[in-house]
Amino acid sequence: MRLIRNLKLALRLLARDWRAGELKLFVAALVIAVGAVTAVGFFNDRMLRGMAYQSAEMLGADLALVSPQPVPPEWLDEALKQGLTSSEALEFASVVVKGERLQLSSVRAVGAHYPPRGVLRTAAALYAPDAVADGIPAPGTAWVEARVLHALAAAVGDRIEIGSAELAVARVLTYEPGRGGNFFALAPRVLIHRADVARTEVIQPGSRVTYGYAFAGADEAVARYQRWLKTRLGQNHQLVGAREGNASVARAIERVDRFVGLTSLLAVILAGVAIAMGARRYSHRHYDMSAMLRCLGASQRDIVQLYLPQLLALALGASLVGVALGWAAQETIHYLMRDFFPLKLPAPGAAPALFGVATGLITLAGFALAPILRLKAVPPLRVLRREAAPLPASSLAVYGSAAAAVMLLMWRYTASWTLTLGVLAGALAAAAALAAAAFGLLAVSKRLHRRVGTAWRFGFNNLWRRAHASVGQILAFGLTLMAMAVIALVRTDLLSTWQRQLPADTPNHFAFNILAADVPAVRRFFEANRIEAQALYPMVRGRLTTIAGVPVTQTVTKEERSDEALQRELNLSWAAHVPPDNTLVRGGWWTDGGGARVSVEEKLAKKFGIELDAELGFSIGGEEVKARVASIRKVQWDSFHPNFYMIFPPGMLEAYPATYLTSFYLSPEQKSLLTALVRAFPAVTVLETDQVLAQARTILGQVTFAVEFVLLFVLAAGFVVLYAALAATLDDRFHEGALLRTLGASRRQLRAGHLAEFATLGLLAGLLAAIGTELVAYTLYTRAFDLEYTVKWPVWLIAPLAGAALIGLAGYFGTRRVVRLSPMAVLREL
Amino acid sequence: MISATNLGKRVLTAEGALDILAGVNLEIKTGESVAIIGVSGSGKSTLLGLLAGLDLPTDGEVWLSGERLTALDEDGRARVRAGAVGFVFQSFQLLPGLTAIENVMLPLELAGAPDSEGAARALLERVGLAERLTHYPRALSGGEQQRVAIARAFALRPAILFADEPTGNLDSATGARVIDLLFELNTERRTTLVLVTHDDELASRCARRIYLHGGRIVNGAG
Ligand SMILES: Nc1ncnc2c1ncn2[C@@H]1O[C@H](COP(=O)(O)OP(=O)(O)O)[C@@H](O)[C@H]1O
Ligand SMILES: [Mg+2]
Repeated sequence: MRLIRNLKLALRLLARDWRAGELKLFVAALVIAVGAVTAVGFFNDRMLRGMAYQSAEMLGADLALVSPQPVPPEWLDEALKQGLTSSEALEFASVVVKGERLQLSSVRAVGAHYPPRGVLRTAAALYAPDAVADGIPAPGTAWVEARVLHALAAAVGDRIEIGSAELAVARVLTYEPGRGGNFFALAPRVLIHRADVARTEVIQPGSRVTYGYAFAGADEAVARYQRWLKTRLGQNHQLVGAREGNASVARAIERVDRFVGLTSLLAVILAGVAIAMGARRYSHRHYDMSAMLRCLGASQRDIVQLYLPQLLALALGASLVGVALGWAAQETIHYLMRDFFPLKLPAPGAAPALFGVATGLITLAGFALAPILRLKAVPPLRVLRREAAPLPASSLAVYGSAAAAVMLLMWRYTASWTLTLGVLAGALAAAAALAAAAFGLLAVSKRLHRRVGTAWRFGFNNLWRRAHASVGQILAFGLTLMAMAVIALVRTDLLSTWQRQLPADTPNHFAFNILAADVPAVRRFFEANRIEAQALYPMVRGRLTTIAGVPVTQTVTKEERSDEALQRELNLSWAAHVPPDNTLVRGGWWTDGGGARVSVEEKLAKKFGIELDAELGFSIGGEEVKARVASIRKVQWDSFHPNFYMIFPPGMLEAYPATYLTSFYLSPEQKSLLTALVRAFPAVTVLETDQVLAQARTILGQVTFAVEFVLLFVLAAGFVVLYAALAATLDDRFHEGALLRTLGASRRQLRAGHLAEFATLGLLAGLLAAIGTELVAYTLYTRAFDLEYTVKWPVWLIAPLAGAALIGLAGYFGTRRVVRLSPMAVLREL
Repeated sequence: MISATNLGKRVLTAEGALDILAGVNLEIKTGESVAIIGVSGSGKSTLLGLLAGLDLPTDGEVWLSGERLTALDEDGRARVRAGAVGFVFQSFQLLPGLTAIENVMLPLELAGAPDSEGAARALLERVGLAERLTHYPRALSGGEQQRVAIARAFALRPAILFADEPTGNLDSATGARVIDLLFELNTERRTTLVLVTHDDELASRCARRIYLHGGRIVNGAG
């Protein structure tokens, strides 16, 4: 009874407080925190859901087998016997040509029943509405992705060349199973009929072809067949069930989720600070109310029952608005990144919304509960004696609950307490260091004090009179600006610095699948056309199977097993001399040329614990080959020269089918020679690294864009902190302003003082951001990317200016009320 | 109705223990109007707070509405106060975030009274503020604010009304009108009135006067 009555009154009191405008900051802070978290949550959920939901369809099968060679025919007979539908496909990279234009494409040659699960979708022309396709391309025709048509300036009906074959483009391919999850697919797809493969003459012994077998059927039959097949699989086979299909992509998304999620927590923490400040103020303002209620006979429990529901209602309301905001933000990110996703992602689920609401409740509980619960301890005597007030909440309760809330939320992303504590400790240490720097900056600004005019002096005075609050704000904005600057640097500066630092004639093309018989002709082609090319290296494909006698599958963790180097076949080469830009770090090079030995690349060796002298087992063309580790090499991968993880001495691998590869530099004027090269050697695949780089830059741009979007939330949270701090000092400012005006200060002088105060605050935050950015960038450039570092002077200009402008204006705006009232009105009210 | 025996309040200050109230005995009967008079600092507010159970004495006992306040804890004393006691203060003590009518409604709502809004409106009309229902305290003059406070004090028809220098912050003409109103309502509703003041003329309107000096009753106890 009493509880219900209290609940009703609580809601009414809340409505009155709301109207009085006291709660706006609270709500704004919560909305931003929840919005940041849910935007990230929704978006990642959507990507994961898209994958799980469509994994069978994306795989195009219930079970897929990938092999570098055709599998024994009895394997397919067995599938038929088990009642499964199966379909075979061949996949290889090849340059597609029309006239003078060419495009590296991923060609898939398919037979009947393709795909056994899911559908193909095609359109009659570019941008025409698409529909589910009937069957597969007829022999002599090709279905191609829009990108191919763009690159070749071709249209449906035109004829294109793949190797030696000429095919008519029959339809535009808009959707194909197995491509949807491949967000970063670099080469567009060309789909042809199996019957046309021979005509292309692209496939030669040793060329890189993948044979794909897709099976579909009843769950039971698929499982039985999978068991049957597993006992027969060799090292070179990869068997993927629809369920496991996208494990590595899922892991990548989880990692992004963790990183961006932790970034969004920055917004939550800042919002929490604003909420804590607001809660203290709220609590103080409600001392009188609480005292009056106690005076009127309310018990301590009544007080709790009156204030807790208000808090809860506030948290729920704000969280719901935050969830809506997060949803809208997520839609915006999705829209801005739409080119990234070949197919429409499914709508997000409810889980991120629930987590958003939980975030709201946890944040409010962690940052606001302790001071607000003090309201029950307000002595009723306060109505007679103004100074009677409760003891403030213990700092253990205040900071403890805040830290607990942050850790709880962090744990959601790290899923590990050690990692949570680690991140927290690191963040605290960094914050402490930056706070010290902020104090330093404030102290320096204090020294300038006597050299500035009255208004500025007044503003400066305000800054260090509330030094603690000022440092907190400099820190909050400094960190936010820094994060933005670092991300912007990565986006604009990092890649171009790297490219600038490459020599001008760095190879920008790779040619592989060069047949041994064509090697002299290719060399002549380069010479005749004055193309600067690297040496031609032989390449044999094989798989690492044992390290010191132990099967690789046992020595590495599950995560590492999906590593490219183990999953796919490695490119093995042989050489009599150490290749340029390779340096030996351990062991020695063979001079006699004999013996079963191998030189291993340093990073790979480290990853799999490969020691000097260990015996490695390889599976090459179905045969076992053993070799002792003779040396460990450091490789400069970004030289764009052909490089290999494993190099053998001459004489070991010559018996296996080999192709050759090289890299070369083409100036823009020489580009047309590519067509000639591809025409002359149809089996050769050319990769235009400059284009790949351009694409990588687009992808990097999009990802950093998404992160910057989240940082906008962090910036907004920073402003809420600023306004919360302003609100806490507003009464003081009113008083001070009124007094100064009675002493003859003009409104203009006061306003100039306010502007000076906040512009300085922003300037210092910007300087702090510049210092931090410089440190982070230095580490990133020199440690992570091995780049030459130059001072990022634009940051030193832009960050302080942007900080001064943004925060100066926000603060100026936030204090405008201070001079609006007449001094008389102010002094009477106090 | 109210009785105090050997009441004392001692506080610790920087200079040592200080008796701000000592050996106070008094008895106030139902329906009586009593003034507590003394110069500023004589301990009047302290006494009022103890009689109303807002604070605990260091010596002696207080009985209110048949309950021994000194034996109850804070929440127990609140329960005794609930609905039985009204207050009017020198500094009005209106809540700045609430409008006039909401301030009056607050005790009614807390007690779960059925039509708190109607009752509050009627009371504000009674004190002559029918036009000011939705005004915030800062938009009201001192006299108007104190009339809202009086309406709030009478909202629950309390048996006892404690008033601590209700005219202390008002000019004499306004103060006189507020006091008239207070006594009118007091007689209308047969409330027991305990009025604290330093003003002899105001005190003379009460049936009985208790003089306080230096924390002790000088005469008029009973
Ligand atoms: N908690 C306290 N600590 C110290 N001094 C107090 C305290 N409460 C009251 N006093 C002092 O006791 C004296 C009486 O106060 P009060 O009852 O408010 O007087 P009155 O209402 O008659 O003006 C004053 O001098 C006041 O400063
Ligand atoms: Mg007093």
